[in-house]
Amino acid sequence: MNPIVASASVIAAALAIGLAAIGPGIGQGNASGEAVAGIARQPEAEGKIRGTLLLTLAFMESLTIYGLVIALVLLFANPFAG
Amino acid sequence: MFDFDATLPLMAAQFLLLVAILNQVFYKPLTKSLDDRDNYIRTNNTEAQERLAKAQRLAQQYEQELANTRRQAQSVIATAQAEAQKTAAQELAEVQREVQAQFQQVQQELDQQKQVALQALESQVGTLSRQILTKLLGTELAS
Amino acid sequence: MMHQSLNLLPLAKLEVGHHLYWQLGNLKIHGQVFITTWIVMGLLLIAAIAATRNIERIPKGIQNLMEYALEYVRDLAKNQIGEKEYRPWVPFVGTLFLFIFVANWSGALVPWKLIHLPEGELAAPTNDINTTVALALLVSLAYFYAGFRKRGLGYFAKYIEPTPILLPIAILEDFTKPLSLSFRLFGNILADELVVGVLVLLVPLFVPLPVMMLGLFTSAIQALVFATLAAAYIGEAMEGHGGEHEAH
Repeated sequence: MNPIVASASVIAAALAIGLAAIGPGIGQGNASGEAVAGIARQPEAEGKIRGTLLLTLAFMESLTIYGLVIALVLLFANPFAG
Repeated sequence: MFDFDATLPLMAAQFLLLVAILNQVFYKPLTKSLDDRDNYIRTNNTEAQERLAKAQRLAQQYEQELANTRRQAQSVIATAQAEAQKTAAQELAEVQREVQAQFQQVQQELDQQKQVALQALESQVGTLSRQILTKLLGTELAS
Repeated sequence: MMHQSLNLLPLAKLEVGHHLYWQLGNLKIHGQVFITTWIVMGLLLIAAIAATRNIERIPKGIQNLMEYALEYVRDLAKNQIGEKEYRPWVPFVGTLFLFIFVANWSGALVPWKLIHLPEGELAAPTNDINTTVALALLVSLAYFYAGFRKRGLGYFAKYIEPTPILLPIAILEDFTKPLSLSFRLFGNILADELVVGVLVLLVPLFVPLPVMMLGLFTSAIQALVFATLAAAYIGEAMEGHGGEHEAH
């Protein structure tokens, strides 16, 4: 394998997962903060808020996972390896 | 990693098969049992509520009857007491009257006997005094 | 494919992308996926049959557990599809949830690695992209079927309902839905197993435990997310984009 392609792939994988973590991180922080505020305002709605929060967190998490999938593709199934 | 092959359609078919089998052995019977239980609980609930209402109605009825009976008993007692008092008073009065009458009668008899005795005494006064005289003065004076 | 480069990395020992190939006619299939899938399905079937063998009015033991699971997926379908239409879809959505849940947890709980295969290694069935894509495509077919069944050809009205300008986006949505569904599940499970594998490689004892717990949690959540999204897509296809539910 071309060493340039290999090193570029590794860097790209690192960038993919790193960059993909930024947005969801901010989003998850926002969502959790709002959820805590909501619970503080309405403690009786805690169960419902927590369920919705977990679901939304999973959705945001999947964005990072997409980045991770790209990183894994670059590492293990690199289409430019040939 | 991304090597699609015949696994994909086979997995899909397998999954559909699983859905079909589980639908038969799991979802249908258990859903039916859940619905049955819901129905059972609902009918039992309504039945129990009906019974409760009935029991409450009965209890109310009994209570009313009890109150009625109590009122009746009270009135019976009151009348009985009044009657008893009346008869007692009546009897007392009668007895008193009788006693009074007897007393008067006795008094009258006594008076009568006294009068008779007095009369008898008065009628005897002459003879007695003459006897006394004869005894004291002798017969010559007396005759 | 790139074994030489992989040997430079410690991840190389994790054997990503190796499969136990079975030949079926002139088709190749991934044997290890089928083995674990059959085990998972067998578990589900055994639990289902044990729960419904003699149904009692007062549930106990396994029947109680499976009734709880059934009520859970019923509520899930009811919340997403709606009170009126959810009943025929309970088996599909419920089986999606149960199968993915048991598959994910089997991958996290059962020490498959102790069983050596000639090639590749046993793992959760959802660890293979074929499985997740198959499930996601089934979801796509299901919501198309639901839409057609409910609204006939009027189903296509949803593509041009607000404005025809959004037609490309609406069509694109039909492709991104299964893509995101399958990749979300696949990526989560694969990432979980990889992280655990790397940690086990570095520190074999105790240290990977918290990550494994997190993996259990994520696995359950992903099963829930997959089933919820499938039910939501089906419900959306049946009630339609436009019309009375515009405010949605």
